[in-house]
Amino acid sequence: MRYILERLGFYAFAAWAALTLNFFLPRLMPGDPATALFARFRGRLAPEAMQALRETFGLTDAPLLVQYFTYLGHVLRGDFGISVAYFPSPVSQVIGTGLIWTIFLAGTALIVSFAIGTLLGIVAAWQRRGWLDTWLPSTLVFLGAFPYFWLAMLALYVLGFTLRWFPLGHAYGDDLTPGFNFEFIADVVRHAVLPIGTVVLATLGGWLLSMRNTMIAVLGSDYVNLARAKGLSPSRVMLRYAARNALLPSVTGFGMALGFVLGGSLLTEIVFSYPGQGYLLVQAVRNQDYPLMQGIFLVITLAVLGANWLVDLALLWLDPRTRESS
Amino acid sequence: MTAAAPPRSWARLGLGLAALAAVACARDVPRAPAGVLVVSQEQQASWIRNFNPLTTATSARWPTLAGIYEPLFVFNSVRSEYVPWLAVTHEWTAGNLVLRLTTRDSVLWSDGRPFDARDVAFTFDLLKRHPALDRRGVWGFLSAVSAVDERTVDFRFQRVYIPGFDEIAAQQIVPRHVWSTVADPVAFANENPVATGPFTEIRVFQNQVYELGRNPHYWRAGEPHFDAIRCPAYPSNDRANLALVFDEADWAGNFIPAVDRVFVGRNPAHHRYWFPLTGSSIFLYANTTRAPFDDSRVRKALSMAIDRALLVDVALHRYSRPADATGLSDAYTAWRDSGIAAAGDWVLHDPARAGKLLDEAGLPRGKDGLRHLPDGKPLRYEVLSVAGWSDWVRAAQVIARGLQEIGVDASVRTYDFSAWFQRVQEGNFDLTLGWSFEGPTPYPFYRWLMSSATVNPVGVASMGNWHRYGSPEADRALASFEREPDPAKQRALCNEMQRVFVAEAPAIPLYPNPSWAEYNTSRFDGFPSEARAYADPSPNKFDRGECLLVLTTLVPR
Repeated sequence: MRYILERLGFYAFAAWAALTLNFFLPRLMPGDPATALFARFRGRLAPEAMQALRETFGLTDAPLLVQYFTYLGHVLRGDFGISVAYFPSPVSQVIGTGLIWTIFLAGTALIVSFAIGTLLGIVAAWQRRGWLDTWLPSTLVFLGAFPYFWLAMLALYVLGFTLRWFPLGHAYGDDLTPGFNFEFIADVVRHAVLPIGTVVLATLGGWLLSMRNTMIAVLGSDYVNLARAKGLSPSRVMLRYAARNALLPSVTGFGMALGFVLGGSLLTEIVFSYPGQGYLLVQAVRNQDYPLMQGIFLVITLAVLGANWLVDLALLWLDPRTRESS
Repeated sequence: MTAAAPPRSWARLGLGLAALAAVACARDVPRAPAGVLVVSQEQQASWIRNFNPLTTATSARWPTLAGIYEPLFVFNSVRSEYVPWLAVTHEWTAGNLVLRLTTRDSVLWSDGRPFDARDVAFTFDLLKRHPALDRRGVWGFLSAVSAVDERTVDFRFQRVYIPGFDEIAAQQIVPRHVWSTVADPVAFANENPVATGPFTEIRVFQNQVYELGRNPHYWRAGEPHFDAIRCPAYPSNDRANLALVFDEADWAGNFIPAVDRVFVGRNPAHHRYWFPLTGSSIFLYANTTRAPFDDSRVRKALSMAIDRALLVDVALHRYSRPADATGLSDAYTAWRDSGIAAAGDWVLHDPARAGKLLDEAGLPRGKDGLRHLPDGKPLRYEVLSVAGWSDWVRAAQVIARGLQEIGVDASVRTYDFSAWFQRVQEGNFDLTLGWSFEGPTPYPFYRWLMSSATVNPVGVASMGNWHRYGSPEADRALASFEREPDPAKQRALCNEMQRVFVAEAPAIPLYPNPSWAEYNTSRFDGFPSEARAYADPSPNKFDRGECLLVLTTLVPR
């Protein structure tokens, strides 16, 4: 119990530090939102508009420290303010448009990649020097070494553009209304095949290797030999004795990756024009949209912290040693 | 992973997934229904519902300014003329201190209520009460706006300011009966617009696509000729171009590299483009507060060192032409004086003459091959550009190479956009690329290039005139232009501005930007083209309502 409380205290501190960085970092950038917006028009907006823009965003000259405390107060109340780039929508609404799709896209890709990669890693280690172990890790690492952008463009070009098997982008067809019916779900799946497939392909190698390597180390340990000697069935030894322990580092990695899901798979979303969060972040930075940046970073931070928390709990369950020590 | 499900449910799940996969892999032919025009103008990953035509933040969706709402007069930039729209005539009275507009009769709002002069007066009053909405700064020169009767509006000016008409004409008008009850029009998303334009009914609004149906009460009888506009969200230029190539989009305003091969080549019968050179002119700005750029001979010499033909080739895929010495783009064809333009020979590539001019200016070549200031310092400058704006970066490279030839040690320096813009605004640069300002007349263009009124001291952020040049002669011509309602005399004054610009070379014109427009004629007919140049073809020309000319002309096949 003390362990859990300690961790909670640490997370509270981390959250505060992230909030503070969130506030100060964007403000160190040169320029301000009104100028960024004005400049986006490259001459099509008359200089007279600047005054109106400043009025719109209510740019304040209050001291930074005062702004900081106002900001903290607002965040505690769950008020992230109004987005500049998507004025006058509140930040929460803007983030809401992309969040669900990002969670679906990156989350599914991560889970699929983790599950397949780990399973393959177990099998590869179990049948060490078998054909699977010889070919698969090297092939997947080779694929993963390609720049993701290139891989995604290639998949889009070949499978979408040339063969026309899959749509070129978006999360679902333009003619469909989102709803819980077979047609819509099938369409979402069809649109998700390429983005998820490419992410899985690019990340599979990492999971496989990490699992395989730990697994091999574990397979050489005494308790596994004992289990074998006791005459337990091979699958029981593989899964309950070796894999369960070998899983620990992978679970930590999974937790980290889970947290970063919310950052959005920026490249995936851009290549496949997926309506997710990654692009919002780019827009926010481009337009010096402080409220939106802060909102998105906060969501990412909380997700990373939350995922870490889950990992802590999972490790408690998986690894009796952590339970002992607390 | 040890909890094993009964085998049968695994089989069922597998079967279900297989069925889903089969449907999912069915071949895809995305095509919008007949009579729905698919437009790609804004690049966004998902749409936010905002149709507020007054917000300066310009975060409203594309059709808001020219499709849903309409201005008083539409400016046709290809023909350089005003088309009466919600207003039919204008007249200057009371010693040019009052502009009297007559509004169009028999216009209805999309909810069926009649439009009249009081809506116009109300809209301008709204701008006065909320300076955040006054994007064109009309209350900088207006003193009162009032509806005289149902069809007449009087705009009273603080001083005689004829170019004010351009700003009033472009104003989108909102209905009084709706907006008078809006508490905060600045932060109003206007999700269900009531307007006078051809497309006002929001049929679909989802995160990746929205569709606007036609206005049931549109005042132009029989128009529009098709049912709806559909805007799919594409997050990048590449994706939008893909949509064009695949016949998914009918109309777009993107930059496409090698457009003849990439786009037209795929379907020469229907894939068309027209890039008239009516965009903003791109300049090389020399900071005239720093020696030796305060000397017009030096600026002209720098200009002669630039091989503009090469620059247009390298930087712009030959989509543009070298600028002439007036700097005016083709949006001002009606104003440009070809004689004056021809006299400005300092835009022609001539390194030998450039060298001679620099010698005259007291910047001789030293033994190291570089030219030196009188105090012995070599001419060593950075040409600033924006990181990632590849056209500008390539242009800057061509310029730097040209300058090196005449003994100026120039190099290209790219900054992230915000950092670049801050330097430029504060006058903290030697040489930089930059855009210029557009308007229906060359007045705003030249005002922001050489009026003393637009010069800010170095260190104070300036929205234009970054090179900080003021010419007393130009001031006189600009001031007379402000008070001159007679078109013939306006032309003479504009010629005077061109003469001053050509003589003094306040900035170094490079090329006019094209106005990007691609379209697909397989489903719609009537897009503007070089042969049928009835308006600018680009969906990007919405600010002064020009897109309305296209939207009311297109016919479905």
